[in-house]
Amino acid sequence: EEDDEEQFFMKDLPKHACSYCGIHDPACVVFCNSTKKWFCNGRGNTSGSHIINHLVRAKAKEVTLHKDGPLGETVLECYNCGCRNVFLLGFIPAKADSVVVLLCRQPCATLTNLKDMNWDPNQWQPLIQDRQFLPWLVKVPLDQEQLRARQISPQQINKLEELWKDNPDATLEDLEKPGVDEEPQQVLLRYDDAYQYQNIFGPLVKLEADYDKKLKESQTQDNIVVRWDVGLNKKRIAYFHLPKANEEMKLMHGDELRLRYMGELHKPWSGVGHVIKIPDNHSDEVAIELKSNAGVPTECTQNYVVDFVWKSTSFDRMQAALKTFAVDETSVWGYIYHKLLGHEVEDVVIKCQLPKRFSAPQLPELNHSQVYAVKTVLQKPLSLIQGPPGTGKTVTSATIVHHLAKQNNGQVLVCAPSNIAVDQLTEKIHRTGLKVVRLCAKSREAIDSPVSFLALHNQIRNMDSIPELAKLQQLKDETGELSSTDEKRYRALKKQCEKELLQHADVICCTCVGTGDPRLAKMQFRSVLIDESTQATEPECMIPVILGCRQLILVGDHCQLGPVVMCKKAARAGLSQSLFERLVVLGIRPIRLQVQYRMHPALSAFPSNIFYEGSLQNGVTPAERTRKSLDIPYPQQDKPMFFYTTTGQEEISSSGTSYLNRTEAANVEKIATRFLRSGVKPEQIGIITPYEGQRAYIVQYMQYSGSLNKKLYQEIEVASVDAFQGREKDFIILSCVRSNEHQGIGFLNDPRRLNVALTRAKYGIIIVGNPKVLSKQPLWNHLLTHYKETKCLVEGPLNNLKESLIQFSKPRKLVN
Amino acid sequence: NSDGEDDSDVLESAGEEDMNDQVNLLTGAPKPTKCAEDDDFMTAFDKMLTDNIQARTNESLKVPQLDIAVPMHLRGKSKKPTVMPGLVEDRSINFVLMTRRGTKQQFTDLHVPISEEFAAKFRERALVERAE
Ligand SMILES: [Zn+2]
Ligand SMILES: [Zn+2]
Ligand SMILES: [Zn+2]
Repeated sequence: EEDDEEQFFMKDLPKHACSYCGIHDPACVVFCNSTKKWFCNGRGNTSGSHIINHLVRAKAKEVTLHKDGPLGETVLECYNCGCRNVFLLGFIPAKADSVVVLLCRQPCATLTNLKDMNWDPNQWQPLIQDRQFLPWLVKVPLDQEQLRARQISPQQINKLEELWKDNPDATLEDLEKPGVDEEPQQVLLRYDDAYQYQNIFGPLVKLEADYDKKLKESQTQDNIVVRWDVGLNKKRIAYFHLPKANEEMKLMHGDELRLRYMGELHKPWSGVGHVIKIPDNHSDEVAIELKSNAGVPTECTQNYVVDFVWKSTSFDRMQAALKTFAVDETSVWGYIYHKLLGHEVEDVVIKCQLPKRFSAPQLPELNHSQVYAVKTVLQKPLSLIQGPPGTGKTVTSATIVHHLAKQNNGQVLVCAPSNIAVDQLTEKIHRTGLKVVRLCAKSREAIDSPVSFLALHNQIRNMDSIPELAKLQQLKDETGELSSTDEKRYRALKKQCEKELLQHADVICCTCVGTGDPRLAKMQFRSVLIDESTQATEPECMIPVILGCRQLILVGDHCQLGPVVMCKKAARAGLSQSLFERLVVLGIRPIRLQVQYRMHPALSAFPSNIFYEGSLQNGVTPAERTRKSLDIPYPQQDKPMFFYTTTGQEEISSSGTSYLNRTEAANVEKIATRFLRSGVKPEQIGIITPYEGQRAYIVQYMQYSGSLNKKLYQEIEVASVDAFQGREKDFIILSCVRSNEHQGIGFLNDPRRLNVALTRAKYGIIIVGNPKVLSKQPLWNHLLTHYKETKCLVEGPLNNLKESLIQFSKPRKLVN
Repeated sequence: NSDGEDDSDVLESAGEEDMNDQVNLLTGAPKPTKCAEDDDFMTAFDKMLTDNIQARTNESLKVPQLDIAVPMHLRGKSKKPTVMPGLVEDRSINFVLMTRRGTKQQFTDLHVPISEEFAAKFRERALVERAE
């Protein structure tokens, strides 16, 4: 027996053997056209067949069948248009004859004239089902054959695919070689010293940086058509569509893109610019503002290429912070140093004059838990504030900052991972009468915000103390460019003004990464407040901390979404855990704000019980959160919520296509239309859906199929859960979008994401989804049981909703 | 470990059939290893599918008007579908896959199992026609 097995592995496999498992029956294997490797249609120990595993991991889409297989050497392609993307291809049978052809899902299989012809569009079915090629197209190796073949685990597949990216000839055996796939060291709870800290986080930041770089650099798109314009500042603006959906790489304001002219009508040209507009409900156009107007071929509109320019700035700043933390004893006060590393330190009380009045001028009166938070925080060198949804986290933070600034301990540094969060906080701090400077990255200066007037670059424009600078600025604005001597003079003057403004501010606000700006390099900040700190990685949080911190306040909520880490390896090693979370695990109890002012009490009950140990109190009454004369068929008068059962079973069983989503999208549109008809303004409605595909579909569907004016639907924000974090809407419609029976419920499986989704609405929430499928997940089982027990789980047409009688088993106790 | 717990939850909460697992045990077929890498794959698959569909939807494509005639020599076949012999569950119908190489049409036999809806429908229709 053993010899037999040995023989199997030893003998030379033919070229067409599956690169994972070695199976080489010509009827069972498929050739990947882009990587030139063969794979079988067996699943082995994975949830998809080997060929599908490979296509997905290598992002390849075109295949060829083996010449000795039953179909001969066949490239799979659309009969009509030649599209070879197997993820889009499917079979369509003739209406009357036993003939089939391959057609792409879109547009060929959906052409309306198909109906009158020989082919039956309703019978179209994808080539790939259940993550495997249809077994009657590519044979699935027998169980026995699969068991005899080389056993390869999903982990090994993953590593092998990674290896192929650098060395396409690598084999499974190469995985055994040392150094090939060292997993990074896991983050710890406690660290011996800051060197060890740097030694662990440094490589993780590098991994994330490498991943980000690879991702961005692979995003080049060609055949771009450009529409040229000129901005108010005389700079050239290029508008264009990016045809390929860039989901993994979310394009953001301030990102840098390079535009290159490839045509023949002008000499080669390339220019870099910052993104100033991204696709939205109004148009799918992207706009960049070019850094230089020199030689721009504005007469040419066709034949451009767009590259994404990767910037290492944020990663460099994290690395620099880690290094400073390690080598510079003065970068952080000893107490904070040891606390952050998880050492036992005797408590220290900060001597300070507690204010007589805790509420800050021009900000709302604080409630008891907010007062407690402010009072406690002022006396402690390190504190955590947990602000569940709607509990006035920003007001509390702004109040703390106000008092800190009044203590005469020097300037206060205020930051958050996202620009939106920084802007919100900046606005509130400014209201208390403090001198605030909002420091923006240079790349974001062109982007407008409600606190633009506080931005350093704008404050400089409005400074009249140096007339020469004003004059040069005016010249620059008018002509777009300055002579080199003027430019030099302009920069020197600007630098001087910046310094002056920064030094005279009470509070400086910027993103965590922004605190690594060279303009702050020589400054020291004893007091640092980081808002939304649970959304920042540890190294990100360290950037503001190492500027001489003696009092650190981390605000956030570890029961809502955490930091976004794209590199799976780095995430698994612990980079996706925030500093706040680690400190909680170390035993530092966060001060929790307990009164929520956002949600109707019926809406806060479930999140309070499940995510906050029932501790959330309601600062609003049902009456204050009830919208009169609303034509929404809430099943219970006193509960503005329901779960709208949307089944469409048949559609779910196919392999996770957007067909399934149509039913939900249609229901979402019906509900949205009812809200609009009742006089709810579109901007008061938010539609949350976890998948980008569904987002785009709902946007389109509402505009084309909704019975009201298109414009109204355009103003309704449709976005992912993540995009809604930190924000609220009067009404929320949640479209769950489940793919298929074999798989988890994807994004909504994360309790923190569900928490965020459920806590955005003030006046009402409607969840559209399939309870049968969702209830398989314990947390959703709880939620559905809650809706059922409150008689809010309904089904049927919207104007005749009936209580759903579906049965769930008793939910199990949740372990957090 | 939480993965394991999830599994038992699925069974308990769902109360749905999970025949596949049992069959797997009996025949000793390879079983998926539940792990992060496999979960990542499934998520990546879903994303790739939706991304591709989405990208395709946004593309403004000019495709030829669909006009695919069923060639005459294949038409007669509809009257007597060849049901391939075998066990009931492996039974299949002989279809012809029409492909194109350049401008030339190519025809290949394709055995479509009767479990496929379109194959079953086709067979039903043929039987009805023959009865008439
Ligand atoms: Zn294989
Ligand atoms: Zn096509
Ligand atoms: Zn120590």
